[in-house]
Amino acid sequence: MRAMYLANYFVAGCVAFSLLGWVASLHPIALRGVLCLLGAIAIAWGLSWLLDFSLSKLLKISVADLQALLIGGFAMLLIGLGVFLCT
Amino acid sequence: MHLKLFVLSASSVALWIAPLAALDKTLDIHKALQGVSLGAAIACAVTAGNIARKQAEQDEIEEIKTRAIKADIVDEISTSAYVSQTQRQQEAEQILNGEGECSEDVQRLERALALKYNEDEPNCSEHPKQLAESEQNGTSNEDVQRAERILELRTKGWGKLKIILEIWGLTRGGGSKYKAAEAEYHRVIDGVENA
Repeated sequence: MRAMYLANYFVAGCVAFSLLGWVASLHPIALRGVLCLLGAIAIAWGLSWLLDFSLSKLLKISVADLQALLIGGFAMLLIGLGVFLCT
Repeated sequence: MHLKLFVLSASSVALWIAPLAALDKTLDIHKALQGVSLGAAIACAVTAGNIARKQAEQDEIEEIKTRAIKADIVDEISTSAYVSQTQRQQEAEQILNGEGECSEDVQRLERALALKYNEDEPNCSEHPKQLAESEQNGTSNEDVQRAERILELRTKGWGKLKIILEIWGLTRGGGSKYKAAEAEYHRVIDGVENA
């Protein structure tokens, strides 16, 4: 059941990035906005990797869990945008 | 609950992939439908995730409860086994160490058994007395009978020698047996005459 809920949240993340791509495809300004958002996400993602120990203490989760979240988020971004762009 | 979970999961994936693959992105209506279906897919996936998370937490709680119950049972069994073993050990030590008490108990039991057998059977110490009394009674009865017979024969006019011959079957010259019979004769006669 735990795998089920993790998979559902993963699918939700993938769909969210697909929706982000869909929003970006509506208008060039939306595309810029989405690109800015993706850039911010990338910076936060990189900082999270650098500050993983302090961030894990702040979020009260283990470092392994934080790293799993970061890798999962990256996978969601790749899959979600990949599905949107390839279809 | 599981059916709802599976339906929501499947519908989220379907609402995510199918509109993007099937609908044309250049048409506005299709684009709008894609957006709506993507939003619905997110809603379905989040709802299914929440349901699965609650179910997983309940399963964890049930597992913890089962583990706690098992641990309680094991603890209870081990405690009772330890207590009974300790009790047995203490009893054994009491039996081994408390010989005075034990001997008192044994004596009490022996006394109880002796009383029981006294009630059931005649006392062995009294038995010889009774035998002696009955033997004495038999002897005295025999003496009385003999005395009566002697007196009867004397009233008939029989002499001493004839009476001794009749009663004891002895004649003069019978030795010590005759002398004993004669002494007995005299004792009986004297006793009768004195009475």
